[in-house]
Amino acid sequence: MNALIPVSLRVNGVGYDIVIQPWRTLLEVLRETLAMTGTKRSCGEGQCGACTVLLDGRAVNACLYLAVEAQGKDVLTIEGPVGGDPALEQIQRSFATKGAVQCGFCTPGMVMITKNLLSHTPKPSEDEIREALVGHVCRCTGYVQIVEAIRDAASEIARKRGD
Amino acid sequence: MAYLRRLPRFEYVSPQSLTEVCALIAGTSTEEVMLLAGGTDAILQMRRRERVPRRVIGLKGVAELEFVREEADGGLAVGAMTTLQTLLSAPVVGRRYDLLHETAAQIGGLELRNVATVGGNIAGALPCADLPPALMTLGARIRLSSQHGDRWLALEEFFPDFGRTVAKDDELVAEIKLPRPTPNSAGVYLKFHDRHSMDMTVVGVSALVVLGADGRTIRDLRLAYANSAPTIFRAKRAEAVLRGHALTDDGLEAAAQTACAESSPRTSWRANAGYRLELIRALTKRAIRRACEKASSRTEAQP
Repeated sequence: MNALIPVSLRVNGVGYDIVIQPWRTLLEVLRETLAMTGTKRSCGEGQCGACTVLLDGRAVNACLYLAVEAQGKDVLTIEGPVGGDPALEQIQRSFATKGAVQCGFCTPGMVMITKNLLSHTPKPSEDEIREALVGHVCRCTGYVQIVEAIRDAASEIARKRGD
Repeated sequence: MAYLRRLPRFEYVSPQSLTEVCALIAGTSTEEVMLLAGGTDAILQMRRRERVPRRVIGLKGVAELEFVREEADGGLAVGAMTTLQTLLSAPVVGRRYDLLHETAAQIGGLELRNVATVGGNIAGALPCADLPPALMTLGARIRLSSQHGDRWLALEEFFPDFGRTVAKDDELVAEIKLPRPTPNSAGVYLKFHDRHSMDMTVVGVSALVVLGADGRTIRDLRLAYANSAPTIFRAKRAEAVLRGHALTDDGLEAAAQTACAESSPRTSWRANAGYRLELIRALTKRAIRRACEKASSRTEAQP
């Protein structure tokens, strides 16, 4: 039983045609096959959010998703799309300037859920921000700066858009 | 380190229609073949080697099992492959089935809700699943499909004992139906857990109350529990204690004590059985009281 399955998917705007074993997770394929190690592997159970990526614009835990099931889908990771993504870059900048990063291991997942949150809720309340973060664990910062960073990112993105 | 282990090897197929799925599971056993809905539980079970299927049938491509539909009779039909987030965002659910909306909102974070499905939450037969208690109190019926056709049964008859369902090996949960909401009714789902919605439910209680025309008498009461016994179950003796009466402190206490007597919670590292019984007692009272308040505010709102 070693059947390889062909899978076509887009990651950060680039199309990939790969051949993979069906038991490999999207996280394993991103990190090991496509060498995109920005997405982190931590709990492996969907509890910590370090592996969050956007699949067709929706946040998912890449550790709980079979790579074969990403067939035909669009994956956005912390590496960001070719050609840049102003919102994603602003979120990263806000995390840095607001001191929301200590060891940094949870940051890629936090940034991706923020991207997802701001795409449908451009001006989130503190409750909405904390609600979006329930699937994410940071063992260093205590979340205060993370919430500040997300709020900062939201207002900076709005300001640059001229809202 | 089990948590970093890779998944066991399996063969993978992704049928595109319910007919194909039924053909694929005909004559197979659940030991060798696993149906993968959202996979948020199933992938963990494989990673822990609790399940080591030879073949995995991925259901994400079966588009016909993804729907939330208001029925002509005023009821609700939900396809088994509907994600919790889709259920939660459906306007009809927010408008007419707030118990279901509230319950789904209390499950996991966005990442989990975007993937986990209604059918998976039911067919997994886990005693800690949050949707089945709410669905049971709402009077859910489920459609099991196989090559031999469909059969419908009440959700409360679906879980005979721990980790098992009455579905045969060649059947899958295809659809869930809820009757039209009863006038003057309201439901509440309360759960106790360590870490917001992310941790496993320690005890979950769903209470659905139907008030009489006077806005005080409890015409009907339904109670269903998560993680209070080896399976999700309805506490029918506790329901009977309050049926036909107005809410009193003594009545509430008697119903909660009866619910405890009907439960058989286990001891685990999360909580011992005694503590869980205390939770069942407290949450039962709180859930019934809140459901009554909600139902009564609705009764008053009507002319």
